[in-house]
Amino acid sequence: MAGKDVHYVLRLVAKLSIDKASQVLSKMVRAGSKIELEKVYLADISKATENVMASDRGAVVGAFVDLVGDIPFKFLFYVDSQDSMMLTDLILRRPDGATKAIDVYTMSAVQELGNILSSAITNVFASDFQVAMKPTPPKMVHDYASTVFQEFLMDAATEQNEILMIESTFRVVKVDIKCRMFLLPKNDAQKTLANIIGLN
Amino acid sequence: MAKRIITVDDAPIIRLMIKDVLIECGKYDVVAECSNGREAVEKYKELRPDLVTMDIIMPEMDGIKALEEILKFDPSAKVVMVTAIDQRESLMKAIRLGATDYIVKPFEADRVMSAVQKAFGESPETAP
Amino acid sequence: MEGLKEIIVGMADFKTAKEGEVLTTILGSCVGLCLYSPKHKVGGLLHLMMASAGAQAMSPTCKKAKYADTGVPELIRSLKVMHGASSTDLIAKMFGGAKVLQGVERNIGGENSAAVKTILLEYGIPLKALKLGGEKGYRIKFAMDTGKVACQIFGQIVEEF
Repeated sequence: MAGKDVHYVLRLVAKLSIDKASQVLSKMVRAGSKIELEKVYLADISKATENVMASDRGAVVGAFVDLVGDIPFKFLFYVDSQDSMMLTDLILRRPDGATKAIDVYTMSAVQELGNILSSAITNVFASDFQVAMKPTPPKMVHDYASTVFQEFLMDAATEQNEILMIESTFRVVKVDIKCRMFLLPKNDAQKTLANIIGLN
Repeated sequence: MAKRIITVDDAPIIRLMIKDVLIECGKYDVVAECSNGREAVEKYKELRPDLVTMDIIMPEMDGIKALEEILKFDPSAKVVMVTAIDQRESLMKAIRLGATDYIVKPFEADRVMSAVQKAFGESPETAP
Repeated sequence: MEGLKEIIVGMADFKTAKEGEVLTTILGSCVGLCLYSPKHKVGGLLHLMMASAGAQAMSPTCKKAKYADTGVPELIRSLKVMHGASSTDLIAKMFGGAKVLQGVERNIGGENSAAVKTILLEYGIPLKALKLGGEKGYRIKFAMDTGKVACQIFGQIVEEF
């Protein structure tokens, strides 16, 4: 299969998934969210992790989800710790600043966002590509952004030095919160997807 | 007397959101919160609530399996599924098994209320 | 470490540096190996992922820094070629190997650190400091002026080694 087809398929998946995720995020936090970044690229594992380290502002709360089924993907959603507290206030309709610590509700706010966004993406696969997938319960971390990102890449990085990745950034405009989302096709996911949608 | 409800979801924030909606109405009591299907089945048998709100994707035992177990124990159980997956297959399976209704996350308060009231055969006008 | 040039080392990579520079990386389950020559005030930081390259070692596309058994010798070689520091001039410090994600059975950090220790023994490089394990990430800053490593495990205070 030509490389062009693989990237085309993933760009299509990225566009639809990120659009859907942005809508769902807006609905969950009851505030408009803008897509600030949307890209599909081949990431050198050293360069990609170096870039995250360079912009690492410290602590994030992250949700890892495995999308299992016909075409396995890995999903990561993370937010700066400070922003995760503001997200909790938005979701629970508390006054700004009410949440003052990374507590069980902050962790579960990000957990649930990870759950809902990854589910929205599996819905895109089901409705637009007739591919059956479902998310597993999110695994949560509160750590350096770079640590979270490295753990996300770990399985793929043990086998490959360059990893095909879908990356997006959403900004919740009202409160200026930035959320990062990554999708990583596992194994031959992109080839399988191309077969299913008839590109091969 | 207030209707007794168990909320089941692995995310504490969702349990809190549902509980806040139900408590605010003043006519429902949340008698237990569970974080997975296994706990939900145990608590159901112990407390015999009037209704359960049940997430689908959870560790240890998912909501579909828990629904099956609860209905095996009590065929008249009222279970409202709460799911992030807007997929026909999972929801249709739940309804076929005997779930009363479903709510799709992210949800608004009035959707929770209407699903609970419908499960109890109440309309907004006649709800206590 | 104000006013010093910071050089970031990504995963499966190594870099060397000289006086006035600081090598820095953030670790999760990976292990960070710092090699330093007090005589030359130069050093290198290897951010490795796995113990052994196995058959991969023979491949021209092998990313040597990914593995202890290819990365450590490569770092030692670079320090010699680029900065004139022999293995007999070097001391070592090792960090990381945390178990960040629960439910992962393999002790990757333990395997990696054991592999590194074996190779250091083979080269006769003394291991002067070791901070491994736990469940949180490590941020390390390795200063060439002093050979000291400032290590901060997430949520804890900075420790100097």
